Amino acid sequence: MKKTLTTCPFCATGCMYYLQSDHDKFVGIEPSTVHSIAKGHPCVKGWNAFQFIHHPDRLTTPLIRKNGVLEAAGWEEALDLVVHTLPSLQARYGHDSIMFFSSARTTNEENYLFMKLARAVFKTNNVDHCARLCHSSSVLGLAATFGSGAMSNSISCVDEADTFFVIGSNTTENHPQIGARILQSVKRGAKLIVADSRTIRLAKAATLHLRHRNGSDVALINGMMHVIIRDGLENREFIESRTQNYEQLKNTVLRYPPSIVAEITGLTPQEIIDAAHLYATSPAAMIIYSVGITQHTHGVDNVRSLANLAMLTGHVGRPGTGVNPLRGQNNVQGACDMGALPNVFSGYQKVADEAVRQKFVNEWRVADLPAHAGLPMTRALNAAERGEIKGLYIVGEDPVISDPDQGHVRNALQQLDFLVVQDIFLTATAEYADVVLPAACFAEKDGTFTSTERRIQRVRKAALPIGGARADWEIFCEIASRAGYKYMHYNAPSEIMDEIARVTPIYGGISYSRIDQIGLQWPCLDEHHPGTPILHVGRFVGGMGCFCPAEYRPPAETPDAEYPFILTTGRSYFHYHTGSMTRRTRLLEREENRSYVEINPVDAHRLGIRDRDFVMVATRRGEIVMSARMTKDITPGVLFITFHFEESPGNLLTNNALDPESHIPEYKVCAARITRKP
Amino acid sequence: MKTITCDQFHHFLYSIREDFEIVGPVILHDGTLSLGRLTAEPLALFAGRIPFRFTSLFFPHSERLFAMSDEYRFDKSGSSAKPLLVVGWRAEDLEALEFIDEFFRTGFRDDVFCDRRQSSVVIGVSGRCGVNGEFCRISEGKCDMELIYDGKHFIMAEYTENGRFLSEKIVWGEETDSLEALLQESRALRTPEREILQTASQLLMRNQVDDDFWAEIADRCIQCTSCTNVCPTCTCFDVYDMRLKRKIERYRMWDSCQMSGFMREASGHNPLASQSDRTRRRIRHKLVDDLHRWGRMTCFLCGRCDDVCPTGIGMKAVAAEIVERFG
Repeated sequence: MKKTLTTCPFCATGCMYYLQSDHDKFVGIEPSTVHSIAKGHPCVKGWNAFQFIHHPDRLTTPLIRKNGVLEAAGWEEALDLVVHTLPSLQARYGHDSIMFFSSARTTNEENYLFMKLARAVFKTNNVDHCARLCHSSSVLGLAATFGSGAMSNSISCVDEADTFFVIGSNTTENHPQIGARILQSVKRGAKLIVADSRTIRLAKAATLHLRHRNGSDVALINGMMHVIIRDGLENREFIESRTQNYEQLKNTVLRYPPSIVAEITGLTPQEIIDAAHLYATSPAAMIIYSVGITQHTHGVDNVRSLANLAMLTGHVGRPGTGVNPLRGQNNVQGACDMGALPNVFSGYQKVADEAVRQKFVNEWRVADLPAHAGLPMTRALNAAERGEIKGLYIVGEDPVISDPDQGHVRNALQQLDFLVVQDIFLTATAEYADVVLPAACFAEKDGTFTSTERRIQRVRKAALPIGGARADWEIFCEIASRAGYKYMHYNAPSEIMDEIARVTPIYGGISYSRIDQIGLQWPCLDEHHPGTPILHVGRFVGGMGCFCPAEYRPPAETPDAEYPFILTTGRSYFHYHTGSMTRRTRLLEREENRSYVEINPVDAHRLGIRDRDFVMVATRRGEIVMSARMTKDITPGVLFITFHFEESPGNLLTNNALDPESHIPEYKVCAARITRKP
Repeated sequence: MKTITCDQFHHFLYSIREDFEIVGPVILHDGTLSLGRLTAEPLALFAGRIPFRFTSLFFPHSERLFAMSDEYRFDKSGSSAKPLLVVGWRAEDLEALEFIDEFFRTGFRDDVFCDRRQSSVVIGVSGRCGVNGEFCRISEGKCDMELIYDGKHFIMAEYTENGRFLSEKIVWGEETDSLEALLQESRALRTPEREILQTASQLLMRNQVDDDFWAEIADRCIQCTSCTNVCPTCTCFDVYDMRLKRKIERYRMWDSCQMSGFMREASGHNPLASQSDRTRRRIRHKLVDDLHRWGRMTCFLCGRCDDVCPTGIGMKAVAAEIVERFG
């Protein structure tokens, strides 16, 4: 019996536990009782994280499309095809005619190498990953206000907060350890404001539950700030010593008195006043949010508004405070940190900066690097649909299930001349591929993931990759070498981390020897730096905090006579994203095995729908059949669906309307209708 | 009875490692206390209770039961060649083991568990062996051999033929007759938690705990299933098949009554549809139903579920709340 300490491959909370294996077969999970987050109790997904590893559906050999059919092929042939085709497309259509989708599920080392492959070998900044779909609004919104786009505090700060303002986060379902810690804090007396149109589990324990209209967040937050200033509850000293642009904020929020905000949000004026008072008068108040804030056409405005609220009251830079975006995937924080983004290298160093580029030119030993920013992935799919992107290399990502407006995504993939998909299972996206490369999963390779609290933690190889699968980093190195690039040779992922540390100031002090048992939180500037549990202590990362006021804008699509419901999306506790892993896990698949729509009984009765009836949900993008789930937990007029189920994919319905700055799609609001299936 | 020092005991175990697969408390990579194979390092016999479900040695998280080939050839999974020697379990652990022994042997005999269990030898540890030298109750017979620590030595109490067989192999040690004082100290240990559990059991039996209470507890449950996964007397499992190229493999794995799918019928109807029902079942099953069925409550107060519950609703915590509110 072998027990290998590793980091969970599901959400970004970053629990560590031991994978139990016996003769290279995975047989169970044993929690780490000393890990600061996991504390001996993984969530239900964590407890089951071993079963998919040796599922018979795992890809074990490369596949190449021949006569329209994917057929097993050798690594030599598959890699040669990739290395031959991508440059030939570039030669014909230009350097930026190909695109690289990196993966928030793979390690830091692999994300770093993939962006190095795109930039140093294929000379394009067209590299992005699914943070575009979840927290690109956070990266921009917090960088503009605070100077750093990550969770400002640590998960342990939950134990120290007096008040929580949880907005757009179903924390107990999607970050269960953090949600449970909030519940524990409430039990010891902390106050909890939950802003969510659904009565999520946290709402049942809340001091105040604000069921504001979906997409009215900016109005709600501006209204709270209006009340805070009106009643003299702002933190004058903090505003004067640590921020700028206050007058502009004041002028904007002046236009959001509770009476007007109540009309926009559907709340009562008193609810807005109570929330503002509770948040502002607490000694330590913590904002926790997730994709309910970011996935809007006004996602960046939502994030800026939350940052404004925190600065206005001085709830930043201390234990138990801060603005805390909870990242969704195991390594989405790391994939951003590693520069799998179109405009920055690792550590958010801009590609447009000459000095930064020169540093990477020297380290990577290339003649030059492209200076203009590449395409975000949402824009890249639009470009593919128009025939402007010809080649796409996707790693560990399933846009057919995860991106909005599935019809559009399928069409975009069909237009491509060449699609490479590297994954552990044959996903819906891989069905469109010209080449499929079988990758090792988290249990079959070494590396690191960075959790939502910026903690860089070890992932360890507990068994050899299944069949002919290879670790992603080894595949990238092989491609680089075949493409004639000589400087991508590593004996082990620790050597890649050493290179990352050399060129990435915030990871400057990270090495495998330092994170052997418990990880360090970036910024960790040198080998003696202890890491940074709380950002913005005494000084914002960007110097002065900058108020960036935002005006309320309605969602891109609102209900009308034809589509009278608001459709919003989210996740089930039992499944992880596109379900490729959790739907191949016995107990999780047993728990939820088909798509469902939550509907309020008032609406259901009116439409003659009963619990578990099959219903048709339709939007302007299409329609899907699913099972109705009647619950008072959802507001009348709103429908809730998940996106895990390929058979009736939620994202067939969602709207590909993008935030103008972060290019994030508006998953959280569109207009829909529902009818009982005859 | 013989006495033996810790060093001598370690040397003894090391000397018989060819004959047995020896498993005991070890410290894992990050400091987690667990069960592991004996190495040249002494076992962590004084590091406290093993937090994980220790009975996983006999009833693992998941296991292959058999494989069936396309030609209908049946291949039963074999057990390890050497007999298992388990060291370091506490009195409450041994009581839990005694219960699941009975559970898996009664009625439909669970061959997979029983075969593994039959060829094993269990050595308990008690006496002044707590992390800070505190006294741990003596099981008085629920294992093959018990090592009772008097602060300097282990006194060896053999309870079965297997125990005596091992004891005879130990060439070191002196004879002693000082066990009586330790036994008296063990029997005098106060067990207020057991009284709370018994009171809670009676309140439940008399139907004095209302549904609102369970709804309130259920609202605090995040369905992580950690409580049932670490409980040494939880025996529920689910069975599933893996279809491979030329064979089908059948596995079983721990199940949890805290999941909705645990009782859901194919029609979608569910006798334990709400979390409130499921939480009530988790507690009531051990304190009331098992009392009727097996003649004893099947919580032995090891405290593992309380230690792992992220929201503080393990067995001891819930029993205490029941007694406080309804007692």
